[in-house]
Amino acid sequence: MEVIKLENIYVAYSGSDKPAIMDINLSIELGELVLITGPNGAGKTTLIETCLGLLKPLRGRAFLLGINTKSPRIIRARRQCSYVPQNFMKPPYESYTVKHVIKLGLASFKLPFEPINKNEEERIKEVANLLGIKDLLNKPMGMLSGGQQQRVIIARALVRKPKVLFLDEPFSSLDHDARIHVAKIIKSYVEEYRASAIIISHDINPVMELVDRVIEMENGRIIRIRSRV
Amino acid sequence: MFINIFLLSIVSALFAGGLCGAVGFHVQRFGVTTMSFGIAHAALAGAALGLLLGVDSTMSAMLLALIIALFMGIVLIRISYGRELISMAIFSASSAIALFAIYVSSAKVLATTSVAIILWGSLLAITFEKLVLLITLSILFSLYIVACRVHIDAILYDKKLAEAEGVNVQLHTLILLFFTGAVIAITLKLTGGFLVFTLLYNPVATALQIAKSARKQLVLSSILGSISAITGLIVSYIIDLPVGATIALTSTTILIITCITRISIEKIKWKINKLS
Repeated sequence: MEVIKLENIYVAYSGSDKPAIMDINLSIELGELVLITGPNGAGKTTLIETCLGLLKPLRGRAFLLGINTKSPRIIRARRQCSYVPQNFMKPPYESYTVKHVIKLGLASFKLPFEPINKNEEERIKEVANLLGIKDLLNKPMGMLSGGQQQRVIIARALVRKPKVLFLDEPFSSLDHDARIHVAKIIKSYVEEYRASAIIISHDINPVMELVDRVIEMENGRIIRIRSRV
Repeated sequence: MFINIFLLSIVSALFAGGLCGAVGFHVQRFGVTTMSFGIAHAALAGAALGLLLGVDSTMSAMLLALIIALFMGIVLIRISYGRELISMAIFSASSAIALFAIYVSSAKVLATTSVAIILWGSLLAITFEKLVLLITLSILFSLYIVACRVHIDAILYDKKLAEAEGVNVQLHTLILLFFTGAVIAITLKLTGGFLVFTLLYNPVATALQIAKSARKQLVLSSILGSISAITGLIVSYIIDLPVGATIALTSTTILIITCITRISIEKIKWKINKLS
């Protein structure tokens, strides 16, 4: 089953004549772990945001879990995905606690007045334990270091049990050991839940051994796709 | 009789200020401040057109404010480049329509206090029906923020992340813009069309200086909105000044005092830390 399908995609930001990504044809299957790499300005984040339907293509068609990203039904597809954005850092005055931030990951599944249930509370603790942030659950986000905040956002992504995980530079604020640890968590999640993960990373070392495919981008184009032998 | 009217105005100010503060908090955190500015002036244009056409100006204000809110929530929200400038263009056009409608109104309309009420506000403008409308709107907004707290919190924390996770950000923005239009249209005659948005912005600006958590900021914005509206109303009555301008200056004074106090406390704390 294809979770992502991009057909001849061109995306340009408003006010810019030059497309940020162009001539993109890509298909990602369920259960695949894919690494997207390339220099700054290559179009990696634009590609992920196009897959999620946050950016609409000028030309071509993009499908997420079989739904055209231009369709209003894309919201349903997004509910089966998680996103770890590149800009996750919150300022020191941010008062939302770690537990609250992880809980917010479940917001899109909730009906009006519907509270978080016991199973979900347990799941939050479980994921926090997995990422080594259990002791931080009652701390405000603004008081945490960059690495801790990054773990919280990854925990929020995992608590949703997504079919597709989009991770934009998920190792950027982590030290060497934590990078290896988080990479392994992502790999085991993909295997356990038969999910797909699309990781953008400059630092390919922590995940190189774990991924199924490496997509290299430059100047808004895919220049090479390598499959793991 | 007068005491009844005055009491009615005080209760209206309590609800109008509180509701404006709560709506203003969400407007600021949703990043639709400029859009709400456009909606506020669309309400003014609607009220002026109501005078011109001889229909209830609160209802015409609400109609135009809601049409503009609908346009902004469905069309303008999709435009990422120059959205703020388009909102400002709507503000300018709405102000021009308001002045045009007043200019071409009949001499009879111009001779009444109706024009002054929609421009400067009046404590005599609030009727029992408007108060009921205001209370109903306050209950509806409270219900909305309680029912959808988790969705709203997700948007307040990180709008883009919430959207990527499948929270219907566009729908919630549209609902918020609708409430903004409705509350502005009802409050318009109390504060006046040119100053109605001060009750949306100033209490939030003050709350941000005092409280750190979003929940405290929301409650404080609401309380400060009510305090500003009631104080402004009483002062305007005692000194015989236009209500809207007095409310605006009261809320601005509270903001200035809060800023000065906060800076002074921070300086004292810094000095104590340095000494210890």
